Amino acid sequence: MLRFVLPLLLLATTPVDEPKSVGFATLAGFDYTEGMTLPKDVTELDEKMVSIRGFMQREVPGGDPVNAFMLVNDGCGCNGTPKLNEIVFCTLPDGVTMDIKTGVVTVTGKLYVGEVKEEGVVTMIYQMDADTVN
Amino acid sequence: MIAARSPLVLTLLLALPLPAQQEPPTMAAGNAEWAKDVERAASAPRYGLRLAAARKVAGAGAAAVPAIREFAAQRTFDSPMLIDAIADADSVEAPVLDLLREWATQRDFYWRGAALRGLARRAERLPRDGDDLAAWFHSFHRDPSWLMRAYSRFGSLLLGNGEVFAEPEPDPRARVRLAALALGAGRVPPLQPLLDALVDRRTFLGDPWAKRSADEAQKALKAWLGDGWPATANDLDDRAGLDALRTLLQTKSAQTLHTPAPVADPQPAPTGGFEVMSCRNGDLFVSWSAAGEVRFGLDGADVVTLAGPVWDELSRLRAALPPFADGGVVICDNLRLCWSAPDVNLRIAPGRMPPAADEWLKRLARAIEEASAPSLASGMRTRFEQFASR
Repeated sequence: MLRFVLPLLLLATTPVDEPKSVGFATLAGFDYTEGMTLPKDVTELDEKMVSIRGFMQREVPGGDPVNAFMLVNDGCGCNGTPKLNEIVFCTLPDGVTMDIKTGVVTVTGKLYVGEVKEEGVVTMIYQMDADTVN
Repeated sequence: MIAARSPLVLTLLLALPLPAQQEPPTMAAGNAEWAKDVERAASAPRYGLRLAAARKVAGAGAAAVPAIREFAAQRTFDSPMLIDAIADADSVEAPVLDLLREWATQRDFYWRGAALRGLARRAERLPRDGDDLAAWFHSFHRDPSWLMRAYSRFGSLLLGNGEVFAEPEPDPRARVRLAALALGAGRVPPLQPLLDALVDRRTFLGDPWAKRSADEAQKALKAWLGDGWPATANDLDDRAGLDALRTLLQTKSAQTLHTPAPVADPQPAPTGGFEVMSCRNGDLFVSWSAAGEVRFGLDGADVVTLAGPVWDELSRLRAALPPFADGGVVICDNLRLCWSAPDVNLRIAPGRMPPAADEWLKRLARAIEEASAPSLASGMRTRFEQFASR
C-alpha cells in the first residue's frame, strides 16, 4: 500500500513547475551571431518549463502531420527569413504527430538554450520538448 | 612557363578564341561548386543548413550570381532565404546589384520587397546616374506592398530625402519599419511612431501584429539608447517606465514627445473576417462584428455598416457553407478566412479558393457596394481574383 501512497504524497507536496510565459521580444531581442555569448535573460531559460506564443511552420515543405515544427513570431514572413534566435525548434513526444495549425498557438514544454551544430554550422539555439500546443 | 620562354607563343595563345558559349574551366568548376550551395540553400533538409548555405552563397557576391541565375532559370525560384541573405550581405558588385534590381522590379516576384531592402541598405554605395537612383526608389513610394513602400522610402532617406517621414502611410507596420530602419542607420526619425508602437496591442483575428511592431520598435530604441535604456522600460505596461523612456528619448533627440496611451482592439470585437497577405499586391484586412459592422484595414479605419436584414442573410449563408478541406500549399501570398459558427481558420494559396467561399465573399462585396462603399467593394473583388479556383 505504501508503495502507492508515497508517490501521491510527493505529488501533493512538490510545487508544480508552472511554465513561465516567454515572448519573442526576449528570445529575439538581440542580434545573434554565431559563437556569441547569449544574453543572460535567455540563458537563464535553459531547461525551464515555458510557454511561448507564435506561429507553427514546417521545417520542410509538405502537407502531412508533423512530429516537429518551428515556432516563429511572424506568420506572414514580413520580417524576412527568421534568424536562428527568432525560431524555437519544437519536438512533440515520440509517436505524437499533429497538423500545422493556422494562426497563433501557445506551445508549452521544456526549453533548451544553446547552440547546436550540425555539419559544422549552428542549426538552432532554441529547442523545446513540446508537451502541449493550444 | 611557355609565356616566359616565348612571347610569340603567348601572343598566339591569347589570340585563339575560346569555344563559343563555353566558360573557362576554372569558372565552370566554380559555378558547379556554387550550384551545389545554391541547391542546398533551397532544399537542404534542415533549416539551419539552408540558412548557412544561403549566407555562404550571398557572401560570395558576384562569383555565385551565375549559379543563382542558372538555378532560377531551371525551376520556380523558391528560396526566400537566399534572397534575404543576398539582401543582407554587403556586395555592391554589378552582377549582384543587377540581380537585386531585377527581382525588385518584377511585380510578380513574391520576394521583391526583400530585394528592394537589399538595394535600400546599400543606397549610399550604389552607382548614381544623375537623379535616376533617387527617382527609382521614389517610384515605389506608393507601391501596394507596405514592405516596398517602407524599403523604398528608406533608400530615399539614405540618399538624402528627409521628406519620406511626412508622406502619407496607411499601414502602421510600415511607419514603424521605416522609423526603426532609419534609427538603425543613424538617421533619427520622428520618434513618436516608435513610442506609440510600444503600447499598441491591437490584433487582427487573433494575430498580434501590433505586438510584433512593438518588439521591433523596442529593439530599435534599445539599440539607439544603448546602456541608457532604462530598466524600468522593460515593462511597458508600467506607465512610470514608459514616462522614463519618453523623457530619455526626448532629451537625446530634442524632439517633443508625449507618453502614449495604450491602444487596444476596437469594439465591438470582430467575430470574423479575412486577410489577404500579398508581397505582390499588398495586404488587405477585412473584419466584421456580429452586428454587421465591416471594418477595413489593420487599424479598421474604414467602417461600413450593413443593414440588419442584409447582414442576417449573409450570416445565414456563411453558416451554411460546406466545410473547407484544403487551401493548397502556401508559399507566400495567401488568403486567410477566419470566423466562428462554424469554426474556420484556413489559409488559402493562390488559385485554391473553395468556390463556395468565393461566392460568399463576392456576395459580401456586393452588399458593401450597395452600402455606398463601391471602392472598398471593388478593392475586395480585385484581390479575390488571385485566389479564385483555377
